[in-house]
Amino acid sequence: MKAIRLSLTLAAATTLMLAAAQPAVAAQDPTGGKQTTYPGIPSSSLEKFGGEAGVAVWVDDLFYYILADNRINQIFLTHGKVKRQIALNKELEQMVLGGPVTYEGASMSAAHSDMGITLTQFNAVVEDAYLACDLARTPYTVCNQLIAALAPFERSIVTR
Amino acid sequence: MNRRNKIGAGVGRQLAVLAALLAVSGTASAGLYNDGKVLATGGVSMTDGAGGGGITPWATITGYETRDGINADLHYTYVHLPNYDLNSGGIAIGFFDRVELSYTNDSLPTGNTYDTVGLLTTTVNNLLTVGSTPANTLNTGIEPFNTTVRMNVFGAKIRLFGEAIYDSDNLIPQVAIGGFYKINNNKLLLKTLGADKSKDFEAYVSVTKIFFPLSTLINLTGRYTSANQTGLVGFGGPDGNHRSFRFEGSIAYLLNKGTAIGAEYQMHSDKLHNVNLNILGLTANTGNALLDPILNTVTGSTLRQRESDWRDAFIAFFPSKNLSITMAYAMLGNIVLSPHQDGYYISLQASF
Repeated sequence: MKAIRLSLTLAAATTLMLAAAQPAVAAQDPTGGKQTTYPGIPSSSLEKFGGEAGVAVWVDDLFYYILADNRINQIFLTHGKVKRQIALNKELEQMVLGGPVTYEGASMSAAHSDMGITLTQFNAVVEDAYLACDLARTPYTVCNQLIAALAPFERSIVTR
Repeated sequence: MNRRNKIGAGVGRQLAVLAALLAVSGTASAGLYNDGKVLATGGVSMTDGAGGGGITPWATITGYETRDGINADLHYTYVHLPNYDLNSGGIAIGFFDRVELSYTNDSLPTGNTYDTVGLLTTTVNNLLTVGSTPANTLNTGIEPFNTTVRMNVFGAKIRLFGEAIYDSDNLIPQVAIGGFYKINNNKLLLKTLGADKSKDFEAYVSVTKIFFPLSTLINLTGRYTSANQTGLVGFGGPDGNHRSFRFEGSIAYLLNKGTAIGAEYQMHSDKLHNVNLNILGLTANTGNALLDPILNTVTGSTLRQRESDWRDAFIAFFPSKNLSITMAYAMLGNIVLSPHQDGYYISLQASF
C-alpha cells in the first residue's frame, strides 16, 4: 500500500514537472523563406517536386481534390476567390521548399483567423494533399518534404 | 463442471464490460464521433491494449479522433510461438486525442510446456489421495494438458503536451503518461513459478515524434514495472516485487500513406531469471538426490527459468480508417522453460 502511494506521488510529481516544462510554441507564419524543419528539407526537394511547374500542377491537383471533398469544399467556396487561393498557394509551396519566390498573401493566422477551422478540417486538406501527390506521381518521400514544410501552419490555421 | 462455470462467468463479465464500453461509445456517436486523424496516424494496438506499436505504448492516443471528438477500436492479436500462442483481444477508446482508456484480455495457452509437470503432479496427487485427505494434495496451478494463462489488462493514458505530427519545425516530441492494471488469473501457477504477485500496476512515459522529411516515426518509452513476460508470468520474484524503469523503443518507416515497416525493442525482467520451478515444495535443482533426476528425466530439460528482452520487426497496413493489419516476426527468446520462442504475430484493429 505504501509502495502504491509512493508510486502515485512519483507519477504525480513527474506529471507536474513535465507539464511545467511544456514549451509555449509561437504561432508559425510564413516569414518569406524556406520552412525550418528537423531534419531540414533537402535542397533538392523543389527540383524533385518538378520545380515551379511541378508545384503549380500539384496545387491545381490539390484544389481539384479540395473542391471535390464534401467535408471541406464549402469552406473554400464560401470564402471565395478560389483562383487567388490557388495562385497564393503556388507561391507559398515553392517558398517553403526553398524556392526563390516571395509569398505575397496575408499571414496564415490573419488569413484564417475568422474562419473557425477545426483540426478535423485541416487534416482533410492533408489527406487531399497526399491524393494530389499521387495524382502528380510525386513520390511519397518527396511529398513528405512538403508535408513537413506545411504541417507547422496547423498552429495558425486551426483556431477551434 | 465447477471450473467450466467459472470460465463462463469470466467471459460473461468481459462481455458485460465490452457492452458497457460499446454503450458509452454509442452515446458518444451522437455528435461527438470523429475520425479526423490522417490515415495511419492513430497507430495500432499493442498487446496490452494501448495505442502504439505491437508491444510498446506510444504517446499517440488510440483511434482516429482529433481534439474534436471520440473514436474507438477493437483489436485482436495472435502470436504463434513454438510453445505458446498468445491471444489478445480488447477495446480502446480515445477521447479528444487527449485521453485513452483500454481493456484487453490476454489468453496464453502454453501448449505442452507444462504437460509433463502437470502429469507428474496429477500422478503424485492420485497417489497422495489414496489413504490421505484431499487437503494434503498438491496444487501447482498446472493442468495435465495445455495449461492456459489468462490476464485482464486495464489501461489509461493521457497526452501531456507536444504534437508528434504538426510540430515538424521543432524537436519537441509528443509526451504522454499512462498506466496498466494487470490481473493474472493463474495465481497458483505463478506461485509455482516463483512470482511475487499475480496482479500489479505498471506506469509509463512515452515520447513520440514523426520526422516527416525522413518519413520516420520514433518512440521511446520508460515503463515502471516489475512484470515477468508483461505480467503473464506475474510480477516480481522470490526477492519481492521491486519495480524499476525499463526501456522500450519503436522505429517505424512509412513506405506510403497506408503502409509502415519497423522494429521494436522491449527490455524484460530478470526477476525470475535462473529461478527454478517450485514443485512439491522443493526446487528441482537443489541437489536433492532423489527428486532432481526424476524431475529432470520427466521434463527432459532443466526446470530453470529464463527471460529475454523482446524484439520484433513488423509491417502494418492501413487499407482504410476502419481497419489495420499488422504482421510481425516476434523474437521473444526464452520464455519460462522454453528457449527460442520466435514466431509470427498478426494483429487486426477495427476502428469505429
